[in-house]
Amino acid sequence: MRIVDELREEFRAALAGARTIAELDRVRDRFLSRGHGRVTALVKSIASAPPDERPTLGALANGLKQEVELELDARAKLLLAAATPAGAVDVTLPGRRPPFGRRHPLTVVREKVEDIFQAMGYQIIAGPELEDDWHNFEALNMPPEHPARDMQDTLYLATPVPAPGGGRPRTLLRTHTSGMQIRHMEAHQPPVRIIAPGRVYRRDDIDATHTPMFMQVEGLVVDEGITLADLKGTLQIFAERFFDGRVRTRFRPSFFPYTEPSAELDVECQGCGGRGCALCKQSGWIEVLGCGMVHPALFEAVKYDAERYTGFAFGIGIERLALRLYGIDDIRMFYENDVRFLGQVAP
Amino acid sequence: MKAPVSWLREFVDVPPAPKEVAVRLTGCGFEVGAIEGDVLDVEVWANRPDGLSIYGLAREVSTAFDLPLKPMPGDAPPVAPVGASPVPVSIGDAGCARYALATADVRVGSSPDWLAGRLTAVGVRPINNVVDITNYVMLEMGHPMHAFDIARLGGPEIRVRRARAGEKLTTLDGQARSLDDTMLVIADREGAVAVAGVMGGKDSEVSARTTRIAIESAWFQPAVVRTASKRLGLKTEASARFERGADITSPVRAIQRALALLKQTGAGDAAGPVADIYPRPAPARRVGLRRARIGLVLGEIVPDADVVRILSRLGFKPSADAEGWQVDVPAHRVDVTREIDLIEEVGRHWGFDRVPATFPAVRVPSAGPVPGVARERRLRRILTAAGLQEAVTFTFLPAAAAAPFVPAGQAPLAIANPLSEKFAVLRPSLVPGLLDSLAYSRRRESDTVRLFEMGSTFRQSGERPGVGWILTGLRTDHWSERPTPVDLFDAMGVADVLAEAVGVEVRTRPADLPWFARGRAAEVVTGAGEAALALGWVGQIRADLVEARGLAPGEAIYAGEIDLAAAVDAAGAASLAIQPLPRYPSIVRDVSIVVDERLPAADVRGTIRANAPETLVGVREFDRYRGQGVPAGQVSLSVRLTFRDPGRTLTDSDVQLAVDRIVRALERDHGARLRG
Repeated sequence: MRIVDELREEFRAALAGARTIAELDRVRDRFLSRGHGRVTALVKSIASAPPDERPTLGALANGLKQEVELELDARAKLLLAAATPAGAVDVTLPGRRPPFGRRHPLTVVREKVEDIFQAMGYQIIAGPELEDDWHNFEALNMPPEHPARDMQDTLYLATPVPAPGGGRPRTLLRTHTSGMQIRHMEAHQPPVRIIAPGRVYRRDDIDATHTPMFMQVEGLVVDEGITLADLKGTLQIFAERFFDGRVRTRFRPSFFPYTEPSAELDVECQGCGGRGCALCKQSGWIEVLGCGMVHPALFEAVKYDAERYTGFAFGIGIERLALRLYGIDDIRMFYENDVRFLGQVAP
Repeated sequence: MKAPVSWLREFVDVPPAPKEVAVRLTGCGFEVGAIEGDVLDVEVWANRPDGLSIYGLAREVSTAFDLPLKPMPGDAPPVAPVGASPVPVSIGDAGCARYALATADVRVGSSPDWLAGRLTAVGVRPINNVVDITNYVMLEMGHPMHAFDIARLGGPEIRVRRARAGEKLTTLDGQARSLDDTMLVIADREGAVAVAGVMGGKDSEVSARTTRIAIESAWFQPAVVRTASKRLGLKTEASARFERGADITSPVRAIQRALALLKQTGAGDAAGPVADIYPRPAPARRVGLRRARIGLVLGEIVPDADVVRILSRLGFKPSADAEGWQVDVPAHRVDVTREIDLIEEVGRHWGFDRVPATFPAVRVPSAGPVPGVARERRLRRILTAAGLQEAVTFTFLPAAAAAPFVPAGQAPLAIANPLSEKFAVLRPSLVPGLLDSLAYSRRRESDTVRLFEMGSTFRQSGERPGVGWILTGLRTDHWSERPTPVDLFDAMGVADVLAEAVGVEVRTRPADLPWFARGRAAEVVTGAGEAALALGWVGQIRADLVEARGLAPGEAIYAGEIDLAAAVDAAGAASLAIQPLPRYPSIVRDVSIVVDERLPAADVRGTIRANAPETLVGVREFDRYRGQGVPAGQVSLSVRLTFRDPGRTLTDSDVQLAVDRIVRALERDHGARLRG
């Protein structure tokens, strides 16, 4: 019957518009209330309908009433399930973070270097920042007045400091961590396989690529049969692991008084991919470390048999690696300790 | 050293493309830093004075390309014979091992364009034809020379001797210099006319009026030249070459080359024989090279023919013997004195890129990091996890910044030759550097800053490892609560965490330290009573130090520092054993007392412990309150007492007896009043 169908359509439209329990209650009232409900009225109208229509109307009207009740109940359940329960929390607010700090970027790089060499069987050693001339220069084949001392302009102490447990008084700030290597060799027989990390000092003016204090990790291997090929292989593994395999390297002859032959390891410039740019001074390469075969004069200084043993050594500038790793161009940022900078270091 | 490829090509027929030559030079250890047109900027190491010349670089290039090298220019037939000089020369000091002197009549003017152009190309300013020729020969052959105006030489004669203390000389740069007796000078009858190997004097300079010159070409001891150059603060092209070691066979050759150029350019003619004072000729050097040793060092077998080829091209004369070669070393290779030096020559020209990459055998396991390294790593992780950010600051400070942190009666460790006032002394404490870093961040919009640093501190007695920290800003900053600023107890808590990490028991006691606000500083000590050992301190930074960093004086900044060496010594050997958990329950009692507000909590704790049975296992302050209900000048202190017996379950009456006794002791010793 048309009147029933029209009422059903009206109910369906009203139900679809009810988005809350309160709205649903209004819909229920409109169609089912005892006094003025539209469906209630329809059911009441059965009695006054012509007798021949009464059975049909009766069946249809009561059917509609049942249908409306069921649909209202079903929708009520859905709306109740979706409603916010008492005690609900706004989980979109930020959480209470336990504070955590980060390691300094130079520490991150230093430990990364240390870990790579530790995995290759190296022992990490420590040593003093105040050094004597013997351990910093003379034992390293740099006698007084050696021109190579100019390569490492040195900061001296105004007054010497006594060495713990006796020994030569400390007169200068170490210009490299090589003194630790001499100390280690004085106290241990080969085989030696160590890395010596730490702060070192040079009398350099501050600019974007120089600071009077910087970080170094030096390595030393001494044994029978150690060759330049071993040095090359070791540093290639280091470069691959440090730069996660994506790097071309170049091994170029150089000069250091304490190694011979000496070399420098260059890695392909990331700024230009090796084509040449301002960062690499158009060369396509960035120098990352100096290295070489231990000069026999060092073995003589620490009373090793220079005929029997050979060895290699290398010195890695941490700042230089950090500049490359973090993609920045001024090493002064490492020493300003601006928390906005430090806070960006990946933990 | 700047080297035009066109100039190199006078001696070796290399390709004219600068880039090609640059790659080969870099490949054999003479790194080319920049190329400007035809000119290569070559880095020459301190051990290779022969590389400070066009001919020396040409020799490297000829070896790298395996091309013949033309003879050195001065080896052409001599312009003037060697003999007695018109200007007498005497050497009075071993610092000069050879002295050659030529005389020439000159027409001083400007140099021809080709000569002036070459000097300009390598960065040497043309002056006049005579001076330019001495510079040209130095650049070409590597041997420095100096020309004197004979009319300005007293005598004229030349005396090589030590300077007298206080002797004066105005050098070519116009500077009046005071000499001392470590310096070697060239003198005439009256006095010094040049600092040997460094710079000539203004008075005897070649000028437009000069008609007759004396050209000096000598060999000075490297250390002597180096000392004079350093003492005078005067580095010159000449001193750079002499202090690294000039070729002792070069003086006469260089002077003949200069005379030839004077003649060729029409600048002048030799006026008499060339003097050559060389009393004790240097012995020839011969160094053995074993074939097997090359392989042992390089890890690569270099064929004999290549060894001989490389060494010969470089000017060495190898002759075969049973194990390899006996090698005559040319005089210009002052760096080659032993076998390893020759192996390097072979290696760098054979090519490091041809050496294979191998990994050395490991025969013994690593001993693991030394204890200090492992400890630093552990502490660093604990501190970062505790919310502090690691800083790295410079180890040196301005003297004024260090002064407040040096104990009375001591001086900071000073640098003898600091770069500037900013780096005058070594830090006596980690805190001033951290304070600078904190202030840097505070001035740049960061309100909350929490930093720590690990590193050495320095005293006259030496260096000590330490850890310092500094805090300012908010402890909590969450929308759910009122922002709470950090206070002294945050700084103190860091000391507790560190002590626990190192394994040492610490407590704090009041201290008066010059860098902290009075009444807001504590020493961190270990051990009991007066014998307690100080390991560090915590406190609030004094207002004027805060203000000196450009921050408001009222800004609350808290810092602390622990001497790690002392803490580790005090800790002794660590035990890893974990105690079994208690089997019986504990009983907790809270006691609130009102005491004088100046009474230290440590005293209350001490009285409690002294009057408690062994079953008291914990004492912890949980509230300290002043205000309503507490008389002025007094404070309500609430303490939680935990009792436990390892062998049985305690009863309420056991605990009540103990608490009563404790309260009576507090009443008796501190006039404490139990709060209701």
